[in-house]
Formats: sequence, C-alpha cells, structure tokens
Amino acid sequence: MSELTKEEPPAAPAAPPPTSVTPSTYLKSILGRPILVRLHTGVTYRGILACLDGYMNIAMEQTEEYGVGGELESRYGDVFLRGNNVAFISGDTKAK
Amino acid sequence: MSSIESPLDLIRLSISERVYVKLRSNRELRGVLHAYDQHLNMVLGQVEETVTSKEVDEETDEEIVKKSKREVDMLFVRGDVVILVSPPLKST
Amino acid sequence: MSTGRLLPLELVDKCIGSSIWVLMKDTNTELTGTLKGFDDFVNMVLEDVTEIRITDGERKEVKLDSVLLNGNNVAILVPGGAPEE
Repeated sequence: MSELTKEEPPAAPAAPPPTSVTPSTYLKSILGRPILVRLHTGVTYRGILACLDGYMNIAMEQTEEYGVGGELESRYGDVFLRGNNVAFISGDTKAK
Repeated sequence: MSSIESPLDLIRLSISERVYVKLRSNRELRGVLHAYDQHLNMVLGQVEETVTSKEVDEETDEEIVKKSKREVDMLFVRGDVVILVSPPLKST
Repeated sequence: MSTGRLLPLELVDKCIGSSIWVLMKDTNTELTGTLKGFDDFVNMVLEDVTEIRITDGERKEVKLDSVLLNGNNVAILVPGGAPEE
C-alpha cells in the first residue's frame, strides 16, 4: 500500500448507487486510445481515436479495415468516418 | 494529427491533396479535394472511380471480383453516401 | 415493474445498471449488455456486451467489454435483457 491510500475512507458503502456513464463521459475516457468501430454494414475499423463530434463523425489514426468476415482489407494513415454509418464505438480492442 | 479538434479538421487539412473516398454501393474515388461542406458534400478533381462488383461463375460456382475503373475531370459527391475519407499515406 | 404514466425515456433511465436487449432497425443485428448511461438521442453506453449478427442464416456472437452504441439505428429496447436461448 502506498502513502497515498492512507487518507481513503475505511470502507466503501455497502451498496453504492449505480453510477451512470453517459455517452459523453465514455467518449472522453477513450480519446487517444485504441478503439474498434463497427459500421452498420458489419465492416470494422481499428485504430487510435483522435477526435469525434456530435454526429459521431470520427477521426482515427493508424487505421485498419476489416471486412464482414473479419479479414484485414486495408490500412490507412488518418481516416475520417462519417457518423451516420457508425453502429458503435468500443474501447475494447481485444474483441473481433 | 495532434492539432485537430474536430473530425472535419482532417478534411480541411486535406484540401488540394489527393484523397481516397469510400462510398456506399462498393464505390471508391481517388482525386484532388477542391471543396467540402458540413454535410461532407465534396468537389473532387482528376478523379478515378472504381466500382467493385462480385459475380458468381455459373460453371465453376466461384466468386469473381470485378473492378471497373473510369476517370472524371471534376465531380460532386453528395455527403450522405460517404463512408470514409482518408488523406494519402505520407510514407508512400 | 410498473410502467403506468412513465415517459419513454424514464423507462430507459430505470434500466441503468441492469441488463438491456437492443434490437436494431435492420432485423439481423441485436445487442445485449448492462446499460451504463444514455443521452437524449438514446445513444447508449453498454458494458459486458454481446453483439449478435445474423448473416445468411448464420448466427455470429461477439463479446465486448464496453461500447458506445449509436442511437440512430436503434429500433427497440427490451428491459431485462434477451431471453435465454
């Protein structure tokens, strides 16, 4: 245990209230991190999330494109993805 | 890339550059980006259009990927068909 | 769960922290997971997610720790999650 933990309260409440993670806070937590983007078509992009806007337009770096069957199709440097095609964004990059 | 704050900045920084644009219906464009707006409507010059189609050979039952290309001096792209825009790789 | 006089988004708010089943507009994609939060567009943050895609009659499942789901193509939300197969 480090010195920093000494000031912590002795125990957490038994049942903490369910904390809400809004889309906005989730996005802040994955900025600059590796992400997976799935389009409605099933095509997947993996890369580093540079930034995004309210339309879910996304700018990514070091991007790889995977086809519906999961096969690597292309590599790009920087990429702009138009948000209307985006089904979801995930900070979990282990998954396919 | 660190200087950009909004995804559209990536497009702004690609003005006068050759870009790759992936569209719906298996259509791809490579051309010089002359102009764009907030809908991602774009004007491209010196464009090469590639349309990829898949056909099944009736005799061998194999899937044949066909790519047809054509060149266009100048064209307008309606933003809602755009899937992806990528500036050329700096290393290539 | 009583749903009388409950606004639609109040129902979604009651689902925070619980399992939810999301059916997309295209009828071959579904997700299940724990709802962590949402916004006015019903964009949703889900955790412990299973994505189910059915292509050519073949069912494919993908597990993800967390996702931000675009609300734009969401058709139906089912509180409590998906039924057991």
